[in-house]
Amino acid sequence: MELQTMVTMLAEGFLKSVAIFSLTLLGSLPLGLLVAFGRMSKFKPLQWIVKFYISVMRGTPLMLQLMVVFFGPHYLLGIQTGSNYRFVAVIIGFVLNYAAYFAEIYRGGIESMSVGQYEAAEIMGYSKAHTFVRIILPQVIKRILPSITNEMITLVKDTSLAFAISYAEMFTLAKKIASSQSTLMPFVIAGVFYFIFNYVVAFIMERVEKKMSYYR
Amino acid sequence: MSNILTMNNIQKSFGELEVIKDISVSIKKGDVLSIIGPSGGGKSTLLRCAAMLETINGGSILYGDKKAAWTEDNGKVVYAKGKDMKEIKNYFGLVFQNFNLFPHFSVLKNITDAPLRMQKRNKDEVMSEAEVLLDKMGLKEKAGAYPYQLSGGQQQRVAIARALALKPQILFFDEPTSALDPELTAEVLRVIRQLAEENMTMAIVTHEMNFARLVSDHLIFIDGGVIVEQGSPDAVLGNPQMERTKAFLNKLEQ
Ligand SMILES: Nc1ncnc2c1ncn2[C@@H]1O[C@H](COP(=O)(O)OP(=O)(O)OP(=O)(O)O)[C@@H](O)[C@H]1O
Ligand SMILES: [Mg+2]
Repeated sequence: MELQTMVTMLAEGFLKSVAIFSLTLLGSLPLGLLVAFGRMSKFKPLQWIVKFYISVMRGTPLMLQLMVVFFGPHYLLGIQTGSNYRFVAVIIGFVLNYAAYFAEIYRGGIESMSVGQYEAAEIMGYSKAHTFVRIILPQVIKRILPSITNEMITLVKDTSLAFAISYAEMFTLAKKIASSQSTLMPFVIAGVFYFIFNYVVAFIMERVEKKMSYYR
Repeated sequence: MSNILTMNNIQKSFGELEVIKDISVSIKKGDVLSIIGPSGGGKSTLLRCAAMLETINGGSILYGDKKAAWTEDNGKVVYAKGKDMKEIKNYFGLVFQNFNLFPHFSVLKNITDAPLRMQKRNKDEVMSEAEVLLDKMGLKEKAGAYPYQLSGGQQQRVAIARALALKPQILFFDEPTSALDPELTAEVLRVIRQLAEENMTMAIVTHEMNFARLVSDHLIFIDGGVIVEQGSPDAVLGNPQMERTKAFLNKLEQ
């Protein structure tokens, strides 16, 4: 197989990796905030459930979680899943997993805010919602940005775990090509792709951090 | 003249710890009340009860003739709700010891955001009032600055402007200068004095006795959750009757 063909095939897989990455962020960043609220809830049962959820998500391999999401409906519930369920399962698995990590990051950020900010807002007549959205959240985001960047970089590499359920993202393809052609080349190319991807992610996040550095 | 704030038989405990035992105090329109006393005596707690940041365990709080909190016959404390509470919260502002400005808002936005967003007032009006306030605080050139770029004294003056922008009937200060160096203290005290001259109603917790003497109409000395002594500042500070007051003032002079 020619190098060019290899690169083209892997580039296609790369787009799928990018799709996993983007959709995972799109789903898990907001879901993580909701989970964080549940984790901080004064309603104990909710707090326990969410705590359990977070510990399972963080305490078991993502690969295993993907398999449960993919095979679960069929083996556990007897539901016949459609042909495009493989991709859906990847996204569900990743979103659920990353939401747990993001939730803990949000929680750390929210809990690091001083009571003074809440009290000042309350005295000034801000409603609860306004206080959170306008006063607390912007400051929390600034504080947690480095941790979010870290997770994003991990996520880029984690997209390769979709191979566990044979979803044809870049790593799955690289593995396939490598074994059929008996060459390491696809892995090298995939490595370069991942590296560039992460370089771009880090670059963008650095920009965002800079943009938020107008205050302390 | 009518009372802006009336607090009757206030009680406040944190768990087992009874911090405010039985305090009654009222403030007339245009008056300045100073609250002094040793650390842990309950000064901040009293102010925070008045500002609804703490819930009382007994007694009543009135703003004007509006009941904010009262104790029912069965001993249960009830607070006003909904629209009534909203109206009551418009009565007062609070200036904190450590400013608590919003760090991500510019000076101007710190002052205008709540009047615009929460009071939904006219933008031109809010903006021009903010300008006047900044001028008064000697911070005209700082409108676009962020809190971290200001000295403590400047930050505290922004906090005062921010509170005034909401047009409160009464302004509470909890040790507004104790986080500041002496030079910075002077500029903040000057601003508060100016407000007193303009007949702003205020209640000020302070350790600055000379300032309290200059600015206040009435002074209360709180220790152990009760008012030990009260009266005109000259009387309490110049000729204290109670041993505890004397001891406290002597200690300050050393
Ligand atoms: N949220 C709280 N939970 C428990 N105890 C509290 C709380 N707030 C205050 N206290 C206690 O109540 C007592 C009075 O505190 P307060 O802050 O009102 O004193 P203060 O007169 O303002 O003192 P200072 O001059 O040091 O500011 C103290 O013993 C304090 O430890
Ligand atoms: Mg205090």
